[in-house]
Parts: sequence; structure tokens; C-alpha cells
Amino acid sequence: MADFIKHPIVDLPDRKPDPVVPADQLHFSDEEKKEIQTWISRYPTADGAVMRALWLAQEKFSFLPPEVIQLVADEVGIPYSNAYGVATFYTQYFKEKKGKYVLDVCTCFSCQLCGGFDMLHYLEEKLDVHKGETTQDGVFTVQEAECLGACGSAPMLQITNGTYVHNLTREKIDALVDALREDKMPAFTSVTLPQDEDEMGGNRRTDVSSTETYQAGPVSETIR
Amino acid sequence: MSKAGDWRNYKRVLLPPVKDLHRLDAYEANEGYAALREVVTTDKWTPTSVTDEVKKSGLKGRGGAGFPTGLKWSFMPPVDPEIPRYLCCNGDESEPGTFKDRQLLEYNPHLVFEGMLIASYAMSIKTAYLYIRGEFADWITHMEAELEKAYQKGYVGKNIMGSDFSCDIVIHKGAGAYICGEESSLMNSLEGKRAYPRIKPPFPAQKGVWGYPTTINNVETLACAPLIIRNGGEWYAGIGAPNHAGPVLYGISGHVNRPGVYEYPTGMLITDLVNEVAGGMRGGKKLKALVPGGSSTPVLRADMIDGVTMDADSLREAGSMMGTSGMLIMDEDTDMVSFLRRITHFYHHESCGQCTPCREGTGWLENIVTRIDEGEGNLRDLDLLIDLCSQMEGRTVCALADAAAWPVRYTIDRFRDEFEAKCKPSLVASGVDMATA
Repeated sequence: MADFIKHPIVDLPDRKPDPVVPADQLHFSDEEKKEIQTWISRYPTADGAVMRALWLAQEKFSFLPPEVIQLVADEVGIPYSNAYGVATFYTQYFKEKKGKYVLDVCTCFSCQLCGGFDMLHYLEEKLDVHKGETTQDGVFTVQEAECLGACGSAPMLQITNGTYVHNLTREKIDALVDALREDKMPAFTSVTLPQDEDEMGGNRRTDVSSTETYQAGPVSETIR
Repeated sequence: MSKAGDWRNYKRVLLPPVKDLHRLDAYEANEGYAALREVVTTDKWTPTSVTDEVKKSGLKGRGGAGFPTGLKWSFMPPVDPEIPRYLCCNGDESEPGTFKDRQLLEYNPHLVFEGMLIASYAMSIKTAYLYIRGEFADWITHMEAELEKAYQKGYVGKNIMGSDFSCDIVIHKGAGAYICGEESSLMNSLEGKRAYPRIKPPFPAQKGVWGYPTTINNVETLACAPLIIRNGGEWYAGIGAPNHAGPVLYGISGHVNRPGVYEYPTGMLITDLVNEVAGGMRGGKKLKALVPGGSSTPVLRADMIDGVTMDADSLREAGSMMGTSGMLIMDEDTDMVSFLRRITHFYHHESCGQCTPCREGTGWLENIVTRIDEGEGNLRDLDLLIDLCSQMEGRTVCALADAAAWPVRYTIDRFRDEFEAKCKPSLVASGVDMATA
């Protein structure tokens, strides 16, 4: 074997790492299997359902190690390589273990100009981690995110691929971290349209517990 | 001169001021699904006449490219009962600076469903996919709940409202990839593949998802369809700028007092949008620059926007594009080099890696802009960047390379003094050939 194959210049991912999920837990429940079958029935070929199945697996196992991807591939009925290709292409599928709460701070474009980096650096300092790292107790992972589509309420962050927290300030981050330590997820927040404020006197939705307005972001102290 | 007419008294139609419009009962009470009922149950409409009405309205795609929607619909081949056809509604809103579609999904989801169904009727489609980016998880949950209600009421599914027209809607959840906003990679993503764009031709109308005829439209574009059927194509064509008609959701962000999504006609003066609609510059600062339609549209200097209106023609003359109408406003303190550095990082991160000029080019753009931003750059790096842009534009399968190159090219072109000020003085003046110097 040629030397460069034995000693690759770039670190290649381990093809068969030791499984992280114990074998007795590595299965879908009947309900989950049924849900995957429902998704398969909505596409002309089973392939279409792989993204939903990976989401389901990520919710169950919290991330997607190779053995989970294999499980998804078997359940959907596609080759492992296809499922692995999909899982590694998209940013929101976690390939390695993350903290219990992943804080995706947006620093892109509008958020950069409205203090996104201030919020990211504050969070890094507060939790004593660099972006991309997980705290020692395994509760928080801080990440820098690309545009999350909430530019009017910049700076903002997203908690573990779910809830958006708009119009971030340092006080808001303090409160959020404290609440998450006690496992209190913030509620879905509806951001009121400025024209609704003028014409309807507030948010048009009566079924949300939490509302925000679009606000001018703070003056950014750091822009990188 | 504003082409938006009396915009101060404009009555919103995409997001009319109705409490709880996102709920099916409130939507029904406000002419909801009336257009669809008229289309599928009366003889007044045929698939061709619906398409013709949309053509008459002059509706142009709101997803960025601005292609005429009626024309796109008419590209679908003649119906063959053996061959399935698909509609994809593109809700993968990930262009930085764009946050308008999410408002429609949140506040008026049934208008989107109704638009999808009318478009499906016009093209005799039986399955429509609504692709929403994975980050909008909360909104996907809401949409699924509302879709379920629409199914129960018989607005979606088999024999809609007792007619012989059937159409299913499936909500597809993405998982975080900017490239999925490109129509052909959206199709690959739907098929459960890595979202690599496809070479065109064949165009989606000939060979789309799973190889069958497909049409892909933006959320806001399809939301206009019920309004056109309700009020007529001529009514729609009379709103805003003559060549780019209709209501538009302007997403205004950045250094303004009142950012947010505003619905106004096309052809609004940019100065009106900044100074009156968005409440002027934050802290009384001076406007420095503005990006009119998402990160890939060329940036405009403050002295370039006098009399420029938000429609394709006017913005082209001014040297930019309408894009997604997600406007970013920058004040006098903005550092354009750092601003560009973050954009190049974005495109480097989001390049799918299929074509070499883009995969490598976006990386080098980021490297070189970072070097300049950190004060290590040379004057000739600026020319190197422009050269790099020329070697990326038009040399890849999709337009991501172009979208990555334009901000670099135009930001350097329009703010060259700032870039030069950050560079180390060079022995050889910029633009001089090293070999002959």
C-alpha cells in the first residue's frame, strides 16, 4: 500500500468508530416506525423521507453517529451511503455529541451590524467556551450561525434548532442561560409587524403567550 | 419619482390587518378559499385561463430572480395522465437580509396553501410540496397544524370542495443549507439527496423532481395567486411600478429606527422607505450604504440612491438588483471591509462544494478579504479579488458563485478607498503588471 494511503495528509473520518448508542437502545419504537412509514408514503420514492427520518432520529438520540444513520437507512430502505451523504451535507444534523442546549448565535449580515458578535463573545465569555465548543458540564454548546432569517430583530439566537430568541441583549442572555439551566425553555415568540402596531395596536395573534417588536439593534462594539 | 402612488394610504392585501388571520375560521371569514372555490367549482375558470390571468397581472417571482410567474407556469408540458407533475413552493428563505416569507407563514399560512392549490389547478398538478428551511421549526409545526385543519375542511386533498380536482400538500422540512433555495438543489433535497444543484437544461418544467415536470415558485409569489383570482389581473397590474407590479413585502433591517417587514407596492422610493417607513437612521446618523435585496445584490452608496425606486428597472439602472427586497441599511460608522469579510465567510460556508470555481473561489475570497481586514493585505490584492470574481462568475452549475462574487466586486468597486486604506502600501501601484514593472 502506498504511503499516502497509510498516512493520509488530511485526517479522514473514522469509518467504523466504536458505537456510542448501546445496542439495546438502538431501535425505533413502533410509533416512530409508523411515522417514518407515513412520511415514506408522501413521496414517490422512499428517499424523500430520509430527511424527516433523520430529524426524528436526532430528536431521539440527540445526535447522529454512524450507527444511528445506519438505523435510519435501514428503516427508510436506502443505502447507508445515501443517508450518510444527506446527514453530513446539512448543518442542522449534528454529527457529534453536542450540549443539551445548542445556542446558535447569528452573526451574519444584519446581525453583524447590529451587535451579533458582541452577543457571541459575551456568551463565550459567560460560559467560558469558544464557539463550537461545549461547556464542561455538557449543558451548553455555543455556535456561530449563518443567517437565520430574523434580520429585523437582530441580534438573535436559536436554541437547539428550535425556538428563536429575538432582540438579544446581555441581560436577556443572562436570563436565558439561567432559565435553561433550570430546563425552562422560552416560549415561541411572535414578532409584531410594525404596520400591525400602527393599525391594530399590537400583535395580531391572540394565541401566543409571548410577543416582541422589531427593534433597532444596539450599536455594535465588535464586528468580528 | 415614486411609482407607488399614494402609498401612505395603501391597504395591505398579503397581510391584511385582521386579528388571528392565521386561523382557518378567521381566514374563511375574510374571503379565504373563495378564490379557490371559484376556480375549482365554477365553469368561469380553466387551467389556461388561470395562467392567462396571472400573465395579465404581470406578477414576477419574489424569490430573487424576478422571472414572470405566468410564463413559468406555461412552460409546463401538455398534460399526460401517465406522467405525474409536481409543484414546489420554495420556503427555504436563507438569503442573508431576507425575512419576509416567514411573516407570511406565520400570519397568513392559508393564503400560501390557497396559492399553491390555485397554481396546482392551473398546471393540473396533484401533489404540491412546501419546502421550508429547517431553522423555521416552530413555523413548520404551526403550518402542519393549519394544513391538517384545511384537510379536514376539504380544502386540500381528494375532490376539493366537491369538484373533480384533487391535490395534496406535503410540508418538507429542510435541515439548514443556503443552497436549497436554488431551485434545482431544492429538488435534489426533496428527493432525499445531497442538495447539489443540477445543470440546466433540462429545466424543471421538462425534468424536475424524480424526473417529472415540476414548477418551483417562492412563497410570496404563490401567495399573490389568490389575490389575482379574487380581484383580477388588471387590478394587480395597477399596483406599483408598471413593469414590476404588485404588493411586496419589504424586509428592512440594519441601522434604522424601525426595522421590520412592511407591505407596500413595488416602486417605492428607497429614500421614502428609509426615512419615513423605517423611521430614519438610528441615532440620527448619516446613511452610508444600502443593500437593496439580500446579500448577493450589489451594494449601493448613499449618493447612488437619489430617485431610485424599488423595482427591477430602476434598480438595474442604479447598478443593483431587486433580489428578495430584503434591504440592509448601513450608517456612516460601518466598516465595509469587515462587512464584506463576513459575507465572504457566509458564501464559503454555504458553497455546496460541487463546482471547483465556487468551492475554492469562495474560500480564497474569504482568505484574501480577511487578510486585508487584518491589515496584512497589499494593494494588488484588490485586483486579485476582482480577477478571482471574474473567474467564478458564470463558470458554475448554479448562481451561488455569482452571488458570492458580486458583493466582493461591487463593494470593492464602490468603496475602494476604504479597502486601500486598510492595505499595506505597495511598492508597485495597483493595476500595474508585475512582470513589466
